[in-house]
Amino acid sequence: MFDAAMAVAKPEMKSYIWLQTVDGSIQQVEEEVAMFCPMICQEVLQTGMGSSKTYAISLPQRVNPAILGLILDYCRFHQVPGHSNKERKTFDEKFIRMDTEKLCELTSAADSLQLKPLVDLTSRALARIIEGKTPEEIRETFHLPDDLTEEEKLEPLRNITDDPRIRLLNRLYARKRKELKERKKLKDVEIEEEPKDERSVEDLLSFINGADGDIKGTRSNKNKKKNRRRKDHAKDLSSKTASENDKDLNPLPSAYCNASFDNGLEASASKHSRMQNLPGVNFSPKFEFVDGDVDDDLDPAMKEELDREVEDFARRLNSDWPERMQILSLGQDRRLVPISMNSNGSMHLYTNNSISKVSGS
Amino acid sequence: MSEVMGPDLISDLPQSIIESILVLLPIRDAVRTSILSSKWRYKWASITQLVFDDKCVPFSNDRVVVEKSMVKFITRVLFLHQGPIHKFQITNSKLQSCPEIDQWILFLSRNGIKELVMELGEGEFFRIPSSLFNCRKLTRLELSRCELDPPHSFKGFACLRSLSLHQVLISPDAVESIISRCPLLESLSLSYFDNLALTICAPNLKGLYLEGEFKDICLEDTPLLVEISIAMYMTEDIAEHFEQSSNCNFLKFLGGVPNLEKLVGLIYFTKYLSIGIDSVHLPIMYNNLETIELYQVNFEDAKEILVILHLITSSPNLKELQISGSSNTPVAVDIPDLDFWEKECLSDSILNKLKIVKLSEMGGWPHEIEFIKYLLARSPMLETLSIIPCVFDVENNLKMLIELVKCRRASTKAEVIFIHE
Repeated sequence: MFDAAMAVAKPEMKSYIWLQTVDGSIQQVEEEVAMFCPMICQEVLQTGMGSSKTYAISLPQRVNPAILGLILDYCRFHQVPGHSNKERKTFDEKFIRMDTEKLCELTSAADSLQLKPLVDLTSRALARIIEGKTPEEIRETFHLPDDLTEEEKLEPLRNITDDPRIRLLNRLYARKRKELKERKKLKDVEIEEEPKDERSVEDLLSFINGADGDIKGTRSNKNKKKNRRRKDHAKDLSSKTASENDKDLNPLPSAYCNASFDNGLEASASKHSRMQNLPGVNFSPKFEFVDGDVDDDLDPAMKEELDREVEDFARRLNSDWPERMQILSLGQDRRLVPISMNSNGSMHLYTNNSISKVSGS
Repeated sequence: MSEVMGPDLISDLPQSIIESILVLLPIRDAVRTSILSSKWRYKWASITQLVFDDKCVPFSNDRVVVEKSMVKFITRVLFLHQGPIHKFQITNSKLQSCPEIDQWILFLSRNGIKELVMELGEGEFFRIPSSLFNCRKLTRLELSRCELDPPHSFKGFACLRSLSLHQVLISPDAVESIISRCPLLESLSLSYFDNLALTICAPNLKGLYLEGEFKDICLEDTPLLVEISIAMYMTEDIAEHFEQSSNCNFLKFLGGVPNLEKLVGLIYFTKYLSIGIDSVHLPIMYNNLETIELYQVNFEDAKEILVILHLITSSPNLKELQISGSSNTPVAVDIPDLDFWEKECLSDSILNKLKIVKLSEMGGWPHEIEFIKYLLARSPMLETLSIIPCVFDVENNLKMLIELVKCRRASTKAEVIFIHE
């Protein structure tokens, strides 16, 4: 009787390897399947672990039970020597169909188990997912944070470009950045000392260009409201321009950016025919300059301010000569330092004396 | 935007995996990953394989425009790259000789380049700068449409395993010296050479692929050669040379390759081997030779047939035989010397392992029929014999078939398949 039972039992005797995943659960796996993983194979041969439940092999942290199941399915198929190459390929293609999150987990787990064929398979699948997608699509698929500033996205372009117009633009950016930094320092220093004029450039210009009567009116209590509104507006537009810029600058360190710049430059050059050597307005200049909240929107604000400067400069140069003289000197010494109020109510916006002429009495 | 996003799935994978993913992407897509997020900014910059093909810049019909943007792109990528570059490949038909390539090769020579593939466009051949010869770690070199001139002090590439020169302007001495100075060379491929007489000394060579107008090929020291594929073109010069030659080419070429496993000969190769064959007693057996493919064999030339017979009888383990006749219609209509076959029939060689025979471009000439008879009578393990006639001439084919049916077969399993359109 006993013999008969043994005879029946014998063919069923397989050896198993015991594996423990990071969450503590222990699984029993056929030996030939588990040994297909180099890491497990090594553990068994070097330390002799895995032969029983108490001595289960601890798998790396990146392998959770669900993923382990997938990996073992892969091993179970591929460790059979009888399959043809075609069969293996078909299996692989079906096997790899899963959502992106699982695919990434699987890649990571296969790597920690040193299962190179599976790592190659999953890497190829991930490459196929990435290929041809726009950056936004890739970020969405893999949950990547969009944490590069506009400036950083542009940086490779800045390093390599040899177009003089873009170099000029970069210089203007650099200068503006410096000025804003200095302003910030001064702001911090003189924080309580002088009431700041936080009017927009627009206001100031309209004031300069002869809206004399409005001076006292514009310099406002409307300020704070305006600023807040503009800040929100700024944030909206900056994200819009960010995505616009993304599309423009997509194949990043390459000639295309130059090409788009060239187009923009040519377009604007025709507009401001006298301003042929000025950088064109490629970014939308609809955005109003925000003076007060520089820290939040540094880069888009800087850009928009620059557009503003450029456009205004052009506009002003196209107007009459005497005015132009004043405006020219105005433009050069444009330091937006805190403004001191005179008792007579006129504003000394700039240190340049000529302005006081305009503000008049 | 990032309100309901889950955790970052991919950025924390090991760098080796990210690199292998990036290498699988076209170079443009790989570089674009730099604006994905702060972690991804420089991940692409350390990939060790850079492959530039026709698709890495936008298409334009103007070659100069494409060339300019290619040059800009490649220069920028190299400039932004960090770390060693193991593989650098340019296969772009619009890129021709331009000065920037010199700088790229210099840059690569300083960054541990191992595999260099340059396939430039038609037009002016690019002259490879001397900095290439300083690439000490080079294991694979593939050049197309270039000019190569090694300096006198060149000591060879100590690590080079694979060399492929296609339409390269280089002096024959230079070729021989490069080959002999690369001790680890395993694979050699030379194509589109003019009037080259070549002596090859490459003790580690395993694969040899030649195509061009070769006057003479001597395999002096290639004991480990396993696979040979030769296509020899003919010019008047070479034809004359053949006529005047008193060498035994068979010995010169195949005398020192006992480990040969596969032999492929095209165009005039069989003719080349046939020179001097009369006087030969074959010294060696090719015990590993399992596949023989000979194309454009002239079945009117008894010497060429002799070449085939010699090869077959020296290869006891031959499994697959493919012979393609030359499609020249015979000039002479006189009766061929069929005594030749009687002589051969006296030898008792049996082709014990021959399983598959494919004969194409068969014109039904007497020698061809005799050859088929010969094969059928001596191949006890033959499984398929397929015959493709070269002309669709019903009468001719009928004659062939009638002859074939008469043939005695040593193999009971043999299927004779006459493929006729």
